Amino acid sequence: MDTFIQQLINGLSLGSLYALIAVGYTVVYGILQLINFAHGEVFMIGAFGALTTSLVLFNGNTALWTLPVMIIGAVVASVTTAVLMERFAYRPLRNAPRLAPLITAIGVSVFLQELVRLNYNKVPFTSWNPFNLPDAKSRIPFPQIDVVTGPAIQVGGVTIQRAAIFTIGALVICSALLWYFINRTKMGRGMQAVSQDADTARLMGINVDRIIVVAFALGAVLAAVAGVAQGLQNNNIDFRMGFLAGLKAFTAAVIGGIGNVEGAVLGGLVLGVTEAMATQYIPGQFGGGPWKDVWAFVLLILVLVFRPQGLLGAKEVDRA
Amino acid sequence: MTATAAASTAGSSTNVPLLQADGVTMRFGGLTAVNNVSMTVNEGEILGLIGPNGAGKTTFFNCLTGLYKPTEGQVRLAGVDLPPKPRAVVRAGMARTFQNIRLFANMTALENVMVGRYCRTSSGALTSILHGPKFRREEKETRTRAQELLDFVGLGDSTEHLARNMPYGNQRRLEIARALATDPKLVLLDEPTAGMNPLETRQASDLIFKIRDTGLAVVVIEHDMRFIFGVCDRVLCLVRGETLVEGTPEEVQSDPRVIEAYIGTATDEDDADKAEAGAGHNSDAGKGSAANDAEDS
Amino acid sequence: MRIPNIPLSFVTRHGSKAWPLGLTGAGMLIIGSLLSWSYDAQVLGNLSISFNPGGLQRLAIALALFAVVFLLASKGPLVRLGQWADTALGLRALATWTLLFMTLVVVAITVEAGGLINVQPGGWVSFLGAMVLFAASRLVMPTETRDLAEAVLPGWVEILVIVVIMAGLLFGAAYALSLDDAWAFVLFLVFVTGMAVAATRAGLLSWLGHVTARHKRVLILASFAVAFTFPLTQGGSDANMSIASQVLVFAAAAMGLNIVVGLAGLLDLGYIAFLGAGAYVGAALSTSGFATIGWKPPFIVVVLVAGCFSATLGLIIGSPTLRVNGDYLAIVTLGFGEIFRLTMFNLDGNNGPDLTHGPNGIPAIPDLSFGSFNFGDTHVLLGIPLARFSNYYFLLLLLMAFIIMVFHRLNTSRIGRGWVAIREDEKAAEAMGVNIFGLKILAFVIGAFLAGMAGAIKAHQDVSVTPDQYIFLESAFLLAAIVLGGMGTIVGVLVGAVILKLLPEKLRFFADYRLLLFGLLLVLMMRFRPEGLVASRRRQLEFHEEDEELAIRAEGDIAEKVQA
Ligand SMILES: Nc1ncnc2c1ncn2[C@@H]1O[C@H](COP(=O)(O)OP(=O)(O)OP(=O)(O)O)[C@@H](O)[C@H]1O
Ligand SMILES: [Mg+2]
Repeated sequence: MDTFIQQLINGLSLGSLYALIAVGYTVVYGILQLINFAHGEVFMIGAFGALTTSLVLFNGNTALWTLPVMIIGAVVASVTTAVLMERFAYRPLRNAPRLAPLITAIGVSVFLQELVRLNYNKVPFTSWNPFNLPDAKSRIPFPQIDVVTGPAIQVGGVTIQRAAIFTIGALVICSALLWYFINRTKMGRGMQAVSQDADTARLMGINVDRIIVVAFALGAVLAAVAGVAQGLQNNNIDFRMGFLAGLKAFTAAVIGGIGNVEGAVLGGLVLGVTEAMATQYIPGQFGGGPWKDVWAFVLLILVLVFRPQGLLGAKEVDRA
Repeated sequence: MTATAAASTAGSSTNVPLLQADGVTMRFGGLTAVNNVSMTVNEGEILGLIGPNGAGKTTFFNCLTGLYKPTEGQVRLAGVDLPPKPRAVVRAGMARTFQNIRLFANMTALENVMVGRYCRTSSGALTSILHGPKFRREEKETRTRAQELLDFVGLGDSTEHLARNMPYGNQRRLEIARALATDPKLVLLDEPTAGMNPLETRQASDLIFKIRDTGLAVVVIEHDMRFIFGVCDRVLCLVRGETLVEGTPEEVQSDPRVIEAYIGTATDEDDADKAEAGAGHNSDAGKGSAANDAEDS
Repeated sequence: MRIPNIPLSFVTRHGSKAWPLGLTGAGMLIIGSLLSWSYDAQVLGNLSISFNPGGLQRLAIALALFAVVFLLASKGPLVRLGQWADTALGLRALATWTLLFMTLVVVAITVEAGGLINVQPGGWVSFLGAMVLFAASRLVMPTETRDLAEAVLPGWVEILVIVVIMAGLLFGAAYALSLDDAWAFVLFLVFVTGMAVAATRAGLLSWLGHVTARHKRVLILASFAVAFTFPLTQGGSDANMSIASQVLVFAAAAMGLNIVVGLAGLLDLGYIAFLGAGAYVGAALSTSGFATIGWKPPFIVVVLVAGCFSATLGLIIGSPTLRVNGDYLAIVTLGFGEIFRLTMFNLDGNNGPDLTHGPNGIPAIPDLSFGSFNFGDTHVLLGIPLARFSNYYFLLLLLMAFIIMVFHRLNTSRIGRGWVAIREDEKAAEAMGVNIFGLKILAFVIGAFLAGMAGAIKAHQDVSVTPDQYIFLESAFLLAAIVLGGMGTIVGVLVGAVILKLLPEKLRFFADYRLLLFGLLLVLMMRFRPEGLVASRRRQLEFHEEDEELAIRAEGDIAEKVQA
């Protein structure tokens, strides 16, 4: 039983991470029907934003009070990236065939990864290196905030990492805020209207362009929080971290029903728990850590076969 | 009513049922767009489908052709149950055109019609790659047949034009040619004269007679009442998803409920016009609705 | 490259001076090129000896001569040509690129030899000549031209043109590969691009399109003749053949992917996995001591097994996904690519059966041999020794021919029409009875099959197969070749593959920035020229739905293809 609860908690903390990123995919897809492959990179840049904030402002100080500032740094980095990306890469392609923005997304993704890999230690892009930032070509240690990453908590036979609590907590808080934003604010309702029917929404006087920017920014905020959480959990970050995380988060969004925000959260948790359980309970040579990503992928295929609209997605008749 | 129309209504249709739709219902969430509609089309018959905007005519077509899976009801063609799969429907012998023209814009007229032959040919990848005898034969046949059909609808010299470069009226005809290329027993035309001028409209009704004369049955949706009452053997009027009246043009035309249905749903001048059209006036209200539809799809 | 136009009034006033000025510029360019360009004989090949022009100087002379042709076509003995070709636009483009070329020459000598001082008077004369030519080209007035589709020359002349151009390509390719100096290579690229742009602007390229459409067989024969003769130009050196055969594998895979992306319009981001699956089959069934499967069938069988294995994987991935929504395919294939790599990484005996030796892969795959012909040996043809990579090059050429045939014939068949219809309007296609799912899965599976075949050959050519050869970035590169070259065209993919594979080989100094530029390239291409450098007319129209003028211009071309 202990192992089960242990894996459940592992799964939930992993799943919270996926859920936080998945929201970004789902919100943008809901409005633009665009898979923003580069969203994984927004997450990665969030983590680097937090790291930079810590290195530049606090120079190794890991007190708890630095954490909120780091999160703000992460959010600023991610949101800036996402908004620029929308403005310069995607917006010009609004009316292009669907293939075009998908390919652009790949390009943006590779570009951002390389930008970080090659230039992180050159911020602010001169040979003068006032901040003494580390080289991003390999893994970089992430500041360990004392209270959040201190020794794990033992409850009976179950070990709970503090970072896991942070991640799950972050998901809970973010979900609550998100729910409030979408259902209770004017902007949020505008977003719902646009995702129902962009043309009608435009006729009703909603500024669709602004809503789209907000959608990108919203996803970026959650991705930034996820970036910090990932850094705290793994102790280090690297420029490649967005690829697999992005892939998983997209899988989570599809499992939950793409376009549906609650679905993204649920999908993330389901995926995380599935992975953890697969690691523990699939017997024989195909169990264990090395295959967990494969099982996540199998889950995606199964969902596509048996419930293509996802767990919470409504079956929709496309207009003919 | 014009003389040609009177002549053509005279007994060219048989009483052998070709298409039987039974209790077709289509719901979208809370909205029932088509409610328990039954319709029979006899061989060689031209049936008109009328009704105010949003009555569910197009949705009914979509249900018949398998583009939508009807919530309830059943469609039979020549005595065989049709599954709600577009491909099966086309193979069984029912083809359609679209209210908001949906040609393959960057293909030539000839190619568009050749695509219509797709379901009547079967060259697979292997024979296509090896240029086997079957491939050559089918390819030649497809081409000849497509050219014949373009001649048939009067586009014989527009073969090489891209669909998107063709004038509106020709695009409508091209869509008909493409539908005919599937060798149907029955064609469904969704507002074939929307946006046409009176001359083009007359040509369109001639084309419909010509199609019927080759032994096909036709179902046509239109808002232009003069056109409908001039062309059709029988007319069915849908209102809010339900059958209101069904009968000969004369019966439907003089039915007070039809006139009221049009006035009852009228929300603006345009719809009021349509009510008058129902009483025999000519009107191109169809134009307006075509534009509307083009926007929401 | 767009240079702002000079006010029309100025042009009309001074238009008459364009012609003498242009000839002067071209003359200076030629004379300068005959003189010495650089004091230092070590840079950019030897450009230091007067009256013995080095490679780059000959290129400059060629540019000047081309300009002279344009000038004489606008006024002079070649006016007949001027009636057809748009000499003004051609000359403008040519002069712009010539100026760029000479500027880069000066920069290159300065950088390489250490200082502007190393540029000899000849270099300056040529540079000035380029500037004068540029100025003159701005003053040339555009003229009315006739429709090039009607410009028909006697059959043998047209065939000769094709042959000459093909031979030019052959020499060009051999010359480019022989350039070790990065600057020289870049300058050569500028030269080729300038020539190509000028020819395109003048309309010569579209004329060539009509000519090749009239003599398809000649074109095909000539292309393969050129491709087959290429190893003979290498004088026994295998170094460039190694690059060439890698380019071919890459191009073959890209061509297969182009069926999926370019024809069927599906985005497959895990295509490299199918190549990898083929390679692993090839390795596991080879006679390598590390091979994991005991069955050793002849290579023909191995190639087919590899193809079928990849195709089966394609079927497994494609059939659930293609039913749903086109967008999901992209992400599922992306995931599949990753899963494939992971699986190959894991199957090492500890986690699952030992099929791949995990991260170590399957090394020591022996060379192919058909009867007594071993691909590892050097064979002599026409007195020229052809070593290992030349042998693989020939084999890959056959594969390439096969893939091109599959591509072309499918494209021009009922199936190809179905693909276009799906791309244009999926719902309408479905309503007309086109088998949407069937056609999509067909494209996907054929693509996978061809990649599997290529993979089996690649395994032998590479000697070993490891998981890290088949990462996502490779898939992205294949996609980039198509996007850059042209979706749905054969020549486009070849161009894209050559550029993407050759540039990094030749320009090592930018190796580190390769991926960065490549990401940027994808974004910029989608923004400014989504149809690619060598565009398929139809694709071009699809990407420019609002451009009515283009639609009218393109109509003839598309109809011509349909008639053929
Ligand atoms: N896919 C769909 N999802 C939701 N509602 C739909 C869908 N398709 C049609 N409807 C609704 O069904 C109703 C009937 O529409 P339909 O297009 O069939 O009308 P129509 O009779 O063809 O009108 P018109 O004369 O304007 O063409 C409308 O209220 C429409 O909004
Ligand atoms: Mg309608």
